[in-house]
Amino acid sequence: MKRPSPLVQQGNQTDLDSAMTPMIDVVFLLLVFFVWTASFQMIEYVLPSEMSSQAGSAPVENPIEEPPKDFDDIVVRIDWDGQAPSYIVNEQTVASLKEVQQRLTAISELEIVTPVILHPEPVVPLGVVIEVYDSAKLSGFAEVSFAVNPQGL
Amino acid sequence: MTPMIDVVFLLIIFFLVSSHLSRQESQLELELPVAASSQEDMDQETPRLTVNVKPDGTLWLAGRPVDRQQLQQRFAEARDSKGENIEVRIRGSRSVPYSTVEPIMLACTSARIWNVTYAVYQEEQR
Repeated sequence: MKRPSPLVQQGNQTDLDSAMTPMIDVVFLLLVFFVWTASFQMIEYVLPSEMSSQAGSAPVENPIEEPPKDFDDIVVRIDWDGQAPSYIVNEQTVASLKEVQQRLTAISELEIVTPVILHPEPVVPLGVVIEVYDSAKLSGFAEVSFAVNPQGL
Repeated sequence: MTPMIDVVFLLIIFFLVSSHLSRQESQLELELPVAASSQEDMDQETPRLTVNVKPDGTLWLAGRPVDRQQLQQRFAEARDSKGENIEVRIRGSRSVPYSTVEPIMLACTSARIWNVTYAVYQEEQR
């Protein structure tokens, strides 16, 4: 048999308070749980990349004649020996990623509008490729694209 | 009043849980690459296809493993049904070789999809 709580007899307000307390307890517990679990999730960001029609094997119906360029494209080759990456910027070996970024920054400061083309070897891990892409973007180049092998599909 | 508050709290909890689950649905646990120049994902309007690349090199689209030919076919279908604005997001493990990701980009160009993005973490979250 349910016995009325002594608090309930004191009036409606106390009745409401005592009835709500466990519910609020539970709700707070759930809120804390969700806030806590959400903090474990790493927030994902987006890195946009440019795709150009020349890169793929899609047929181009009306090819547009490109105007001659004043400067050659900047080609960054990335190789991987199984342990660490090595970089070649325009046929010159560069020791580290930091140095790659320094070179690219120096070129971009000349305000030359030319694309940077990343040419990773097939074995290079994606993380390394994205790091170089990121460095090129941070150096100030608006157009950074990936070289792909049309035979790869 | 108590039943009403009860119901309201129940609804709040329901929406919290469902939004949490729907966010997780397309997100396979992967160690993504790191990029400082990345942007916050604000665009929820553009139709999107997310390709997950697992560390073993398998490609997953809409919760199922796909091969390269299927990928190209699915991209072409999606472009025809959802328009040329469609986005392909590559969620690749940072350890997979570039040769695994290359066919995804090739399939995009073959299907005439130009909006390709990479899912990454920002520098400070490493």
